[in-house]
Amino acid sequence: MTEYNVAIEVDARGSFCPGPMMELIKAIRQAEVGELLSLLSSDEGTRNDVPAWLKKAKHELVEIINLEDHDKYIVKKSH
Amino acid sequence: MRSIVILGGGFSGINVANKIAKKSKRKDIRIILVEPMEHNVYEPHYLFWSFNKDPLKKFTIPIDKVLNKRVLHLRTAASYIDTKNKLLDLTNGETLSYDYLVISTGVHLEEEQVGAYEKDNVHHFYSTKATQELQEALKNFNGGTIVISPSTVPYKCPPAPVEFAFLVDRYLRKRKIRDKSTIKFLYPLLRPYPVPSVAEKVQKLYDKRGIEFVEFFNYEEVDKENNKIISMEGEEIEYDLLVLIPPHEGQAVIKESGLGDREGFVPTDRFTLKVNGHENIYSIGDCTNLPVSKSGAVSHFSAPTLAKNILLELEGKEPSKKYNGFTICFVVTSPRRSMLLYFSYNFPPKKFGLHNLFIYGLFKKAFKIAYFKALLRGYL
Ligand SMILES: Cc1cc2nc3c(=O)[nH]c(=O)nc-3n(C[C@H](O)[C@H](O)[C@H](O)COP(=O)(O)OP(=O)(O)OC[C@H]3O[C@@H](n4cnc5c(N)ncnc54)[C@H](O)[C@@H]3O)c2cc1C
Repeated sequence: MTEYNVAIEVDARGSFCPGPMMELIKAIRQAEVGELLSLLSSDEGTRNDVPAWLKKAKHELVEIINLEDHDKYIVKKSH
Repeated sequence: MRSIVILGGGFSGINVANKIAKKSKRKDIRIILVEPMEHNVYEPHYLFWSFNKDPLKKFTIPIDKVLNKRVLHLRTAASYIDTKNKLLDLTNGETLSYDYLVISTGVHLEEEQVGAYEKDNVHHFYSTKATQELQEALKNFNGGTIVISPSTVPYKCPPAPVEFAFLVDRYLRKRKIRDKSTIKFLYPLLRPYPVPSVAEKVQKLYDKRGIEFVEFFNYEEVDKENNKIISMEGEEIEYDLLVLIPPHEGQAVIKESGLGDREGFVPTDRFTLKVNGHENIYSIGDCTNLPVSKSGAVSHFSAPTLAKNILLELEGKEPSKKYNGFTICFVVTSPRRSMLLYFSYNFPPKKFGLHNLFIYGLFKKAFKIAYFKALLRGYL
């Protein structure tokens, strides 16, 4: 598994409201351009939400790592 | 004598102080609440207060009236938390030592970051002063475009802007100026609410009531000279009246003491409610970085865990009680209707009742009575 130098880690497992997407937006707002973020989510809906939102927002989805009971999204703040 | 100091006496702090005072019979503890304000405000009422002018005393209460007699209320603030020496610097010039500290300082509304609330057409309903100004602006509104948007996330009570959109629609209809008005609801997601099933319901109601939903609007700034709100992606939307939820950050005392994340929210263990890396400090409510809603409901359901863990520690036991993330959330869809959701870390939101949308009278309003009579006092 690739090791990432992550600046902000967000554990949104079990988060439904405001939910993993909102936690990710919060982290992207906090991050500096070029920094990597990781988001942990156990919510199935996140699998559609995160890529769709990042595509529109033009931030980079570096990798989705499928773990036993959750996914880990590695995201780069691009601008 | 061991001191349990609770820093911040909003709903979370008052509730925890009362719970510890009620549950512990120990004579060797002092419970001290550090809170500069004299009154507690039932904040959900701001939503309704935007449209009517109930006297303030209808939804505020003197803190000392609901505080257990064993709790000492120090009416001052803290400017620094010295975790090494277990001391608080107080703004009255004194210091206060603690054995256990509970941080419940809520959020700071960063109005100055927006730099436009001084205009008479940019408002919000998250504080007493701001809501009073919004009341006036709504009264003087005679048609045009009302734009409702969060600024940053997270903000208190995720459904509040959605609810405001529903209530403003009703208000304009009552005043017979709805046909001269446009309501636009801006949101950073691709749907009007984080929970998909609720978003679907909200969208249906928006369509029915002619509320325009602008998806994927990530607030960047207000161009107050030209009455425009601008997104990070450069989208510009004009308004005649802008209702913008102000950015939320942690309090200065958290930032100054190096206890916060980049925005001053306190990194907290989601189960034990202990502040990460600090054995004798706990945190609860809006000031935490927990991935749950910033709501009184979360405080209410997590307070017993925090109180129990401190009581266990006082007995020399492991603080083993865990908060499972359970909470509830009412979404008001009109002055007389609401949806109730309940969920935890372990299960996604479920709607309560036989029908998805059920008439619950003025439940959210009636809840105020329970808040003052029981919840604040730590009874439930
Ligand atoms: C419009 C609106 C609608 C809402 N609707 C709902 C709803 O329907 N349901 C729901 O559950 N929740 C709702 N909420 C959210 C709810 O009101 C808050 O989540 C709740 O009040 C948080 O309580 P708290 O004690 O954590 O923070 P606060 O109430 O903000 O209290 C923090 C306290 O800390 C004190 N403090 C700050 N800094 C210092 C310092 N340096 N030293 C000492 N003291 C300090 C402050 O004076 C304050 O009293 C709503 C909120 C708003 C604004």
